[in-house]
Amino acid sequence: MKKRWPITILYRAFSSSTTSTTASFPLKHVKKSNFDSALSSLRHHIQAADFVAIDLEMTGITSAPWRDSFEFDRFDVRYLKVKDSAEKFAVIQFGVSPFRWDPLKQSFITHPHNFFIFQRQELPLDGAAYEFLCQTTSMDFLAKYQFDFNACIHEGVSYLSREQEDKALKHVNSTYKDESLDSWHSLKEIRDTHLFNIPDILFAERMKDRLSEWLGGLLRNRDEGSEVQPSFNDSKQQFETIFFKMRPAISLNGFTSHQLRLIQLKEVKDEQKIDAEMSIKASIGFRHVIDLLSSEKKLIVGHNCFLDIAHIYSKFFGPLPLTAEEFISSVNKYFPHIIDTKILLNSNSILQQRMKKSSTSLSKAFSVLCPQIALGSKSTHLSLQPSVKVEVEVDDIRSSNWNSGVKHEAGYDAFMTGCVFAQACSHLGIDFKQQSSSENLAHNEKLREHVNLLYLSWTNGEIINLSTGNRTSESLASNKRKNHYPKILFECIVIVWGFPSHLKAWDIRECISKVYGPTSVISVYHVDETAVFVQFSRAEMVSKFLDLKESLDRNNDPISVLHPLAKLLEGGNTCAASYETYKEICSSTVSKVLFADQAKAVGIKWKTKLVESSDKTKEHESLRKVKAVNSDPSCGERTKNKNFDDVSNDSSYSQLSSDEIIDSFYTREAKQI
Amino acid sequence: MVPKFKPSPLRIRSFCTKTVQQNPHHWPIKQITKTNFNESLSEIKNHISSSDFIAVSLQNTGSFSSPWHRVSTFDTPETAYLKAKFAAERFQILQFAICPFKLQASKVIAYPYNFHLFPRDELKMGMPSYSFTCQTSYLTAMAKEGFDFNTCIYDGISYLSEAQESTVKVRMGNPMAVDHATKSSSSPALSVADTVFIERVRSRVKHWKNACTDSDIKTEAALVTSLRKIVLGGEQFGSRPSMTIDVCSERQVQLVLKMLEDFSDVLVPLIIPAKGGGTQAVRAVLTSSDEDKDLLKRELQTFEFEQNKRVRGFREVIDLISASQKPLVAHNSLNDFTFIHSKFLAPLPPNMNEFICSLRLAFPQVIDVNYLLKDIGPVKKMTNISATIAYLKNRFFAPIEMEIPNQANENEGKIHGHNVVKICQLFGKLCSILKITPDAIESSDDFLASAINRYANIFYSLPGSSQEPTNEEIRGWTNDKRKVSCEDVVFLWGFRERISAGILKNMLQGSHEVFAEAFNVRMVDRSCAIVVFGKPGLSNTFKNVMNSKAVSGPLREMVSDGLKAAGYETYQRVCSSGLWESALADALDKTLASHNCLSEAAYETKQSEIYLSNELINLAEL
Repeated sequence: MKKRWPITILYRAFSSSTTSTTASFPLKHVKKSNFDSALSSLRHHIQAADFVAIDLEMTGITSAPWRDSFEFDRFDVRYLKVKDSAEKFAVIQFGVSPFRWDPLKQSFITHPHNFFIFQRQELPLDGAAYEFLCQTTSMDFLAKYQFDFNACIHEGVSYLSREQEDKALKHVNSTYKDESLDSWHSLKEIRDTHLFNIPDILFAERMKDRLSEWLGGLLRNRDEGSEVQPSFNDSKQQFETIFFKMRPAISLNGFTSHQLRLIQLKEVKDEQKIDAEMSIKASIGFRHVIDLLSSEKKLIVGHNCFLDIAHIYSKFFGPLPLTAEEFISSVNKYFPHIIDTKILLNSNSILQQRMKKSSTSLSKAFSVLCPQIALGSKSTHLSLQPSVKVEVEVDDIRSSNWNSGVKHEAGYDAFMTGCVFAQACSHLGIDFKQQSSSENLAHNEKLREHVNLLYLSWTNGEIINLSTGNRTSESLASNKRKNHYPKILFECIVIVWGFPSHLKAWDIRECISKVYGPTSVISVYHVDETAVFVQFSRAEMVSKFLDLKESLDRNNDPISVLHPLAKLLEGGNTCAASYETYKEICSSTVSKVLFADQAKAVGIKWKTKLVESSDKTKEHESLRKVKAVNSDPSCGERTKNKNFDDVSNDSSYSQLSSDEIIDSFYTREAKQI
Repeated sequence: MVPKFKPSPLRIRSFCTKTVQQNPHHWPIKQITKTNFNESLSEIKNHISSSDFIAVSLQNTGSFSSPWHRVSTFDTPETAYLKAKFAAERFQILQFAICPFKLQASKVIAYPYNFHLFPRDELKMGMPSYSFTCQTSYLTAMAKEGFDFNTCIYDGISYLSEAQESTVKVRMGNPMAVDHATKSSSSPALSVADTVFIERVRSRVKHWKNACTDSDIKTEAALVTSLRKIVLGGEQFGSRPSMTIDVCSERQVQLVLKMLEDFSDVLVPLIIPAKGGGTQAVRAVLTSSDEDKDLLKRELQTFEFEQNKRVRGFREVIDLISASQKPLVAHNSLNDFTFIHSKFLAPLPPNMNEFICSLRLAFPQVIDVNYLLKDIGPVKKMTNISATIAYLKNRFFAPIEMEIPNQANENEGKIHGHNVVKICQLFGKLCSILKITPDAIESSDDFLASAINRYANIFYSLPGSSQEPTNEEIRGWTNDKRKVSCEDVVFLWGFRERISAGILKNMLQGSHEVFAEAFNVRMVDRSCAIVVFGKPGLSNTFKNVMNSKAVSGPLREMVSDGLKAAGYETYQRVCSSGLWESALADALDKTLASHNCLSEAAYETKQSEIYLSNELINLAEL
């Protein structure tokens, strides 16, 4: 039984709930003005929900081209890049869509909320001003999807992170404590130094008398029920009865600030403190939603959401930890159950079959898995596969009939994510009819193996388990990554930057191959136009290369000028170091557009950083396959991929003329002598 | 099939919240966006060329991130510039208001325009900027004024700086006509290889040219023509046949160009730039006659012109202003012109002098109204233009009539950019008070120019002094003109947070004998204070005491609690090394650390000694 609402009613209900929006999809837009009411209704929806789908819109992804996600990202570097992104960019829209199974209707009910958020500096906090970065391409992208920047900046809901709140409270506490301490202190001093401060003591005593006189007069007046009559004429100008916060109070005129401090009423100070604390509580704003998600321990569903989770952490909890391990363990504390639909779709063979091997981008997955929802229920009869029904409820008005919403609007994206998840669960054989409402969906045995897995990096398919901290590469079941790629050994990698701009990956490879032989370099990868990764075939070549480069830099004799590497060192600005230095540079808070400038800004003044010895522990040796060519186009959805300028599989070496090969042999021999 | 979502203009409009109109102003300021930019250009051009002055005013996304990043009274012109540079490189201009105006006795005739800008990566090259920083307080303030961010981001005009435009030209690889400067470079003696190369190319060109001209007469089968093309390497350039000659070096380019001069009657050489700079090839285009040759050259010119115009965007206006060589009037010139330089000219140079030289090439005269204001008398620096106008109104009788002949805005949107008109008004008032306005309209522009010249190009000036400041002086705290050498200034940090200058001074007093003499303490931010010694030499004594192991007395206790001190040169190094930490104390710590581990003494002392020996600041009684 399905109830259809007349379109007009639907439209009106919808347009009355939101001030301005599209008429197509029922979405609750939440801004400053309706935040409080929306929060209280959302509270009930989340408490009743089986799972909550979320999505975020940010002002950018990467703060510099070289901070983009690469195949050559070790997990710790990947985390640093995500951390940098989450710290620099702002979240401007937050979609929350709680899904609840309605056993009567045999369908899911969801309440998609679209929050516009914008952090304002509402409290007088000391130190740095709030600022955020905008990536011009991302802003353009949002504009393409008609993002309403006015709604965000003019009317967005502000927030405070837990850390900011603590800091502000501490600040308030210390302000009021300090002052009382100070005044107490000064009073003590006064007593200690009797001789000099007798006038102060006398003044304080006189004040005490006058105050009690005033108080007594006030009480007397109240008893008599008559008007307040100042009984002390001599101090009329100094004492004036006023009302402070519904309490009778006196305003004090004609005293010096020192005198004022002596007679300051403690009660007033407490009132001020409470006021300050209230205003801090009031500016928590959107964080209430996050606190709710965390305290309810609901299953959170996102699509490729590692970055989203990092944003949530840095915006609403506190500064991101320095290492991925710490981050994962604290995330798990705040959100014990997270499911990533992108991993779910890629790792399960049933779902892969359902997806018909199409891309796992959110909109694609939505249209493939939930065509009846994507097109509205008008076309239900077209679909033959068993489909999960979803109804949308906004402001107590349900609908199961709508037009498609605006993609990349957080509320709609969250809705799509939830639908994809519900449908995927049904394909996995989870029967919502059997599922008791008290049981947490996250504990369902069919889902258990997918819970808390997130793509650390979609680019190289590395998955991290939030509950155990284990990292795995995408399972072999994934038929999209069936190719075997050479594993990346990070101790075999050298980063080179500041070389002459006309040198391309191929030239650099040729240049190094001339010294160490044709099989020495596995690949050369452009980080950006000013820097490359050179992957050697053996780890000890890294230190050899760095030693050689260093000695060539030092000696400027004709032999080093004629050395095959001289081409790379031309200009005298070429720097080289091991992968660890790359990590170090990634951890900096500075973001220059070009890598070479970044290295300079980080304060690197050397030209070669030598590696001490090659007996390094092999802990970073990761056994994962990495795609050598540009990976599947869907990853452009979140992270734009740079063109992989890999030369490992091409026949570049065979293009070398035989002369050059002989040349390189000679050089090697010459070196051995 | 259900139709896919398509945005219609109606939808966009209903979707975007309309900003509420508040405090409507009567000044009709033309609002320019992408949609009406091209049609307005010629009008702007006319107004610029007929104006006496051009006022400019910017609305940026932020200015300083931490209290100490703000240009302050203890800054030398050099550190002030470095601070302005840091801001200009990170923040973005969202509105650029220009106002060409004429000054006629007590009348200002102004044509104000307000351009909405947004950096758009139209060429997918990370230009004009990859990203930019926004300060929430700035955006919130703009929102309060009713700024429409949707108009700005959807419909803002993009731009490229001069420097970016030249890189783009190279990367786009458009053929360039050869100008005579590159052609007539001296050609050294030819080597054998050169001669062989030239002769080989010459014969190829000759064959190709003959074949092309022959085929005009003979009618050949299509197959033969195409075969001929393949063999001879000919191709089409537009409707004309052309031939590409590959070159390996700039030397060969010169050789080919020289050789092609022999065919200059019909062949026009073009240079094909390589992606990474330099030349990829030379292309010879065959023309049928002299007229045709001229036509080709004109075609190339218009093509380049159109493309450049598209790429330049808003910079077109900057170029118009620059080409007019008119004096510019600004309110906060150091801030505004570092932004203008970095967004529209080139990346900012490392120091103030280079900046001024570079800027002067584009804008020969920049007048800061704040500087004119200083000539009137001991006026405190006012940051608010309206307050300044009100102040002058009360003190001087200088009525200025504002005439704005612009037509009222056709679009009913909010009018922004009032500041630029206020700057015109203020400037008019100041000129009339200072009697630098020609009384009669017929008096020549030259007079005005020379009178105004006195005030031009001062980006950073001392209060109260009317002569151009030298590089060695720092502005004073307030009105006091007591000058203090940078040498007598010591930065102090590592004390407990939220301490007041008074308490710190009390703590220092009696902690050591150097504090027996008069000294002043001023907080820079929460983490750091500056101490100014009244007697020369004491600062060095103090620094030495702090560095030595044998600190005694109460000072010892403070040092063991973390108190640190450094001279002005360390502060200068902080600014020049770009360590813009949010607390000055952290920045000083980092600078000292990097300095110690490097200990390249030669470079440092040289720089700081020259500066410090004669650097002065004005300090008031604290």
